[in-house]
Amino acid sequence: MPKLAQFRATNAPPPASFATRILHVDMDAFFVSVELLERPELRGKPVVVGGRRDQRGVVSAASYEARKFGIQSALPLRTAARLCPAAVFLPVRHDLYVEYSDRIAAILERYSPIVEMASIDEAYIDLAGTERLHGPPLAAAQKLHDAVRRETGLPCSLGLASTRLVAKVASDQAKPHGLLWVPEGAEQSFLAPLDVRRIPGIGKVTEAALKSLGIGSVGQLAALPAEQLERVFGQWGAALYRKARGQDAYEFVIDAEPKSISHNRTFDTDTVDSELLGSTLSWLCQKAGKRLRDAGLWGRTVTLTLRYAGFTTVTRAKTLREPSNLDAVFLAELRALFAAHWTGKPLRLVGVALTGFTHGPGQMGLLDAGRSEKRERLARAADRLRDRYGFGKIRLGSSLDGDEED
Amino acid sequence: MEFTVGKAELVKELSLTQGVVERKTTIPILSNILCEAVAERLVLTATDLELSIQSSCEAKVKKEGGGTIPAKKLLDLVRLLPEGDIRFKLLENHWVQIISDRRTYKLVGLSKDNFPALPAFPPSLVRIPCKILADLIAKTSFAISSEESRYTLSGSLAILKPEGIVMVATDGHRLALVETDYKFEGLPGEVRTLVPKKALSEIMRLVNEADEDAQIEFGQDESHLFFRLGPRLLISRKLTGQFPNYEAVLPRDNNKVVVLDRNEFQDALRRVSQLADQRSHAVKLTLAREGIELSASSPDYGEAKEAIEREYKGDPISIGFNADYLLDFLATSAEGPISLELKDEQSAGQLRPEGDPSTRYRYVVMPMRI
Repeated sequence: MPKLAQFRATNAPPPASFATRILHVDMDAFFVSVELLERPELRGKPVVVGGRRDQRGVVSAASYEARKFGIQSALPLRTAARLCPAAVFLPVRHDLYVEYSDRIAAILERYSPIVEMASIDEAYIDLAGTERLHGPPLAAAQKLHDAVRRETGLPCSLGLASTRLVAKVASDQAKPHGLLWVPEGAEQSFLAPLDVRRIPGIGKVTEAALKSLGIGSVGQLAALPAEQLERVFGQWGAALYRKARGQDAYEFVIDAEPKSISHNRTFDTDTVDSELLGSTLSWLCQKAGKRLRDAGLWGRTVTLTLRYAGFTTVTRAKTLREPSNLDAVFLAELRALFAAHWTGKPLRLVGVALTGFTHGPGQMGLLDAGRSEKRERLARAADRLRDRYGFGKIRLGSSLDGDEED
Repeated sequence: MEFTVGKAELVKELSLTQGVVERKTTIPILSNILCEAVAERLVLTATDLELSIQSSCEAKVKKEGGGTIPAKKLLDLVRLLPEGDIRFKLLENHWVQIISDRRTYKLVGLSKDNFPALPAFPPSLVRIPCKILADLIAKTSFAISSEESRYTLSGSLAILKPEGIVMVATDGHRLALVETDYKFEGLPGEVRTLVPKKALSEIMRLVNEADEDAQIEFGQDESHLFFRLGPRLLISRKLTGQFPNYEAVLPRDNNKVVVLDRNEFQDALRRVSQLADQRSHAVKLTLAREGIELSASSPDYGEAKEAIEREYKGDPISIGFNADYLLDFLATSAEGPISLELKDEQSAGQLRPEGDPSTRYRYVVMPMRI
């Protein structure tokens, strides 16, 4: 059974049903939880998803039992193995998690038409106007919590509040498998005792800067005047001032547009194999190209990232004369960048990013007589087949060895 | 080598050569200018291997011979000298001594034996009046691609026919085509040649220095183009490759026609484009019964709308163009009426000035999807 609201303000005003209507849903140790569905015998044990214990790479997810040993996401696998030799290490099965993520999204969409999947295991839901169907937001949240557990077997934590920021902080405080409601008006008193790091967007750098001002808790941060924060942090100071009050600048934006689309691949072992690197570039480029087309965008700038053994990272970008959404156009630029900037030393990671988005191709060509339109139709036809049969089923011949999945 | 030359003449000729002197190069001698004293002249040669310029001026030659000197340094120094004669003398180790009155300078030189030899001027094909050539270049060269990767688009195509000249340039988005009547004596047939952008701008420089009715001599060999204007010679390496079949992209049935006054259209476009998107420069032209409306909007700055009343009988159409492309053309076309001819939102538009009977000038520009 889920724990009900862990936080109730004393003397709280009667719940204003429309005020606290933003629900943040965060899956608990998502990858691990999915794996445990298939391997229930591992329940209660330290489990790490990310790869073999002796493999290059990082932890993608760790069970709560593993976290007690200090294992967390992004920690090198070998370090995790050292911290907890008894942990069970599982490979990442991304397709499986995507499948569960889709099932969860389908459940969430029963509760509101406005669902924003912020990542594979996290979503914001606007419950405004759903009362006649599902009751007040708190009741709807509890039903949703049960439904996710019942239908997928997966635990999640929920935060219900008046803003996205407070809802996200609340779901974090509710973990594991809890539901936390922050009524309107109680935001400040809820946030005040928390460490500033709990506020999304405040990282190590800001934390250190705040520490030097003698600020450790959100309450202390909220006590600072806006002018002082702006003096120290500039525009970011104004944002901090709002965040400390639980306010954020977001409206619910349905299908918010990305600012960049990127795909990286870390190799199991550092490589100088130019064929492998070439086909990996092609593969990553096609992945990024499909997402670009799915979002209905055209990109103008391609960026190549090369990370060498020893973590030296080089990024090089090229801006096209006109925006494109064709893999082949991006790939040609990437290959040129790669040829010009790869030193020939072993690479640990290659990455591809597309930026500079526009909503259309802009200038049409005079000499290619509709060639780019034809190529675009071809790309979209390939995308439809990919949606149906899986991404890897249709690909450029140049990427035959470049994917990680097969 | 030892000679005396007037400052003014020297500065003029040195300035003409600066465009082809390599500033940054891995071949040091290309940063130098070759000075040769021959008979009663000083001959100056500069090259970047793609393009070479040779010019000369009168000089009092005491001893014939030649040397090379850093071109930029030489010009900078000579410019600062007072008017009057300057004496040059080749020293040992290829250094060159320069004396103006009681001022003495010595410049580090390089042996002239290492300076690339210029190909010899072949028998000249035709003479073209400078005025005509300058007009053709001005009307097309702005449409040349600035992208190095589009090699065959990095110059203008010149077609010399016994009865006239055609020049055409395109960057793949727009195309400028100009034809003019001119009787060439003794030109046996059609001569097609691609002239690189840089050569065109150097020709313009030479032509601007020449007299009203001067003529430029043109010749070519396997791999070079030669232009001679009086004592000045320009040699360019040929652009190889196939220029696109431009005739295939010329619009044929653009029946939505409105005639605008160049100045009025240009002024309106300049104002409206102030508020066009900073990256795409997109403006929208809407043709309807009332005339033409120009509009633009920018997420950062706002929006603009201007109407020009004109007779228009075709079907209404709304089409996007890069304002810069239109302005490039309007800047080079003659004052007076300009006919804007459209077909549909996805097809190339055509603009033709009607005010200049001496040339047939058309500009084809692809729309933007907006």
